[in-house]
Amino acid sequence: MYRKQRIATVSVVMIIIVAALAAAETTRKEMHFKVGRRANISIVNLYGPISVKPGIGKHVSVTATSYSGKVEIDQSKRGNRVAVVSHLLQRADSDSGRVDYEVVVPMDANVTLHTATGPLHIEKLHGDLLLEGSTANVDVRDVSAGRVHVKTLNGPVTLTNVNDAYVEITSVSGDVSLHQVNGASVHVNSSSGKIHYDGEFGEGGQYSLTSHSGDIEAIAPSYASIEVVARSVQGRVDNDFPLQPEHTSFVTRSGSAFAGTVGQAASSVNLLSFSGKIHLKKREQ
Amino acid sequence: MTCEEFERVLPELGNDHRIEQDEHLKSCSACSELVSDLNEISKQGRLLQGCEEPSPWVWNSIEVALRQEGLIREQPGNLLVHPPRLSWKLRWLVPAAAASLIFFGVLLHERGGIPKHQARQESPAGVVTADLQTEGMPSEDMQLLNSVAARTPSMRDAYEQNLRAVNAYIHDAEQSANNDPNDEVAQQYLRNAYEQKAMVYEMALDRSLQ
Amino acid sequence: MTDAKKQQGRLSEAEAIERAKQGNADAFEALYNLHKRRVYSLCLRMTANTAAAEDLTQEAFLQLFRKIGTFRGESAFSTWLHRMAVNVVLMQLRKKGLPVVPLEENIETEEESPRKELGGDDPRLAGSIDRMQLQRSIESLPPGYRMIFLLHDVEGYEHNEIAAMVGCSIGNSKSQLHKARMKLREILRTSRAEKATKP
Repeated sequence: MYRKQRIATVSVVMIIIVAALAAAETTRKEMHFKVGRRANISIVNLYGPISVKPGIGKHVSVTATSYSGKVEIDQSKRGNRVAVVSHLLQRADSDSGRVDYEVVVPMDANVTLHTATGPLHIEKLHGDLLLEGSTANVDVRDVSAGRVHVKTLNGPVTLTNVNDAYVEITSVSGDVSLHQVNGASVHVNSSSGKIHYDGEFGEGGQYSLTSHSGDIEAIAPSYASIEVVARSVQGRVDNDFPLQPEHTSFVTRSGSAFAGTVGQAASSVNLLSFSGKIHLKKREQ
Repeated sequence: MTCEEFERVLPELGNDHRIEQDEHLKSCSACSELVSDLNEISKQGRLLQGCEEPSPWVWNSIEVALRQEGLIREQPGNLLVHPPRLSWKLRWLVPAAAASLIFFGVLLHERGGIPKHQARQESPAGVVTADLQTEGMPSEDMQLLNSVAARTPSMRDAYEQNLRAVNAYIHDAEQSANNDPNDEVAQQYLRNAYEQKAMVYEMALDRSLQ
Repeated sequence: MTDAKKQQGRLSEAEAIERAKQGNADAFEALYNLHKRRVYSLCLRMTANTAAAEDLTQEAFLQLFRKIGTFRGESAFSTWLHRMAVNVVLMQLRKKGLPVVPLEENIETEEESPRKELGGDDPRLAGSIDRMQLQRSIESLPPGYRMIFLLHDVEGYEHNEIAAMVGCSIGNSKSQLHKARMKLREILRTSRAEKATKP
């Protein structure tokens, strides 16, 4: 009994010591910047999440939490440009070099995020967004009236409720999911990643979903107003919409290519894959 | 008429300053100088009309609002994929991407496409697919992977995997374009493939992530 | 493809207005490019703030474009747009509680009146005012003086028009304009004297 109590006590003490050591390495740094309209905010962080949300007023606040002494946070402000960089020291790896960022920016700020692992999260902004993450999971939601440019190698990309925007997504093998994304131009380029679109194809925009071998699934409402071209060189192509034929040099081929219009054809939609399957689906009402 | 009386009525005398009290002006150099200065200020003020220019951002915002409100009603586009309109802020991406595409296009063209020593397999359906397990990497890709390994070893495998995927894309796209050079869609595949490769290189060489 | 006449910048204003009514994006942009400088300059001088001026320019054009379907050509398009821009600026200033026009002249205090100079030893300003100098001087005017000076001397509105826009009497408009010019004269002469004394 006494022995068990002693073991328990020693265990608790060990846990406390380890926690204290860990806490000693954890450093939280807060940075605040006053900016003007349409400020340019750049965060470079090789390892670790970056989350960006809107705040009130012309103020940027960055909270960086690091977990070892092997990374320094460098900050600079020149005019209306703010840059924060995680500077790795002493052969830091993905664990010791990790920094977690929470960023609050004005709604009209232009934001650039660079990472290897991420994940990246941005919401409710109106400025131009550039997100680069090699394997990062990228999540953008409730964004409007700006440009959204995302590049990943195999990090999955999810855009939700993005409107009035110019959207350009390039991912080699990451899956791309677009939910209620509408704008003047929506362009997705994937090699082997799947592309899933579920929205209106609205705003009289130009929509281009292209892949090499990734499947493309596009879901639109029955009242969609689109001029659509779909083709897969080696994959199967299916369509749920009754299409009005269009005078065009594009060659339709049952099962691998179709073209035509739905409704007033306000938006143009290109669904192109080399060997992936393509399916234009009608949303269940 | 005294100078004080003259100045009291001066505001009422009109834009062109036709002075009925010209007898006072003829005799008073101070008031004459005052009127001359005020006329000069007024004349110079007119020259300031409309000489400043707003930033391009203003039109971008107006255009977005007009589209949102349905006031801009575009004609349906044609079937070809048009490059998106880029704002002045991102226009630098266009020449940078074009330069990258041309660079890789020239590289691959000089090398005659994918290396001839690659083994290729045919699936039972007769479709030609690249054997990604046995194909060698182009030397420039190997150099890139070595560079990535030196800086961020943990990312090397991810880059290799993605480079292979992109090279397969380029190969298939080139074949498709060669089969029918007039096929606009095939040309689009090829542009997309090069764009992917350019992006991989750009991300790998991004020194800000060192 | 479009013909040469449809290219931006070569579209006449009348054609642009008709096409804008049909929802043509190029037409909207052409109208914007034709008038952006004047509207923006007006907003900039009234607010002395680039960001605010851009916002107001945007708002003025949006209000105009929303109503373009009702434009019948009874007055010049530029006049219509310009009035809209002035109204947008005035509304903004009022919303912020900033003075648009000083109180009626009989309530004005002596501190608000520019120091009366009935001549002196300084030579005339004729031929010696440069644009930047005048712009800086205008920016340093009290808001009420600045407003009247800009509307009358820069933008060319008549006193009866200014009085209707800003909500004052014609007499007050004339009086404020005179005081604005007097103040500018004082600023410009002081500035020139300071330059002359520098080595």
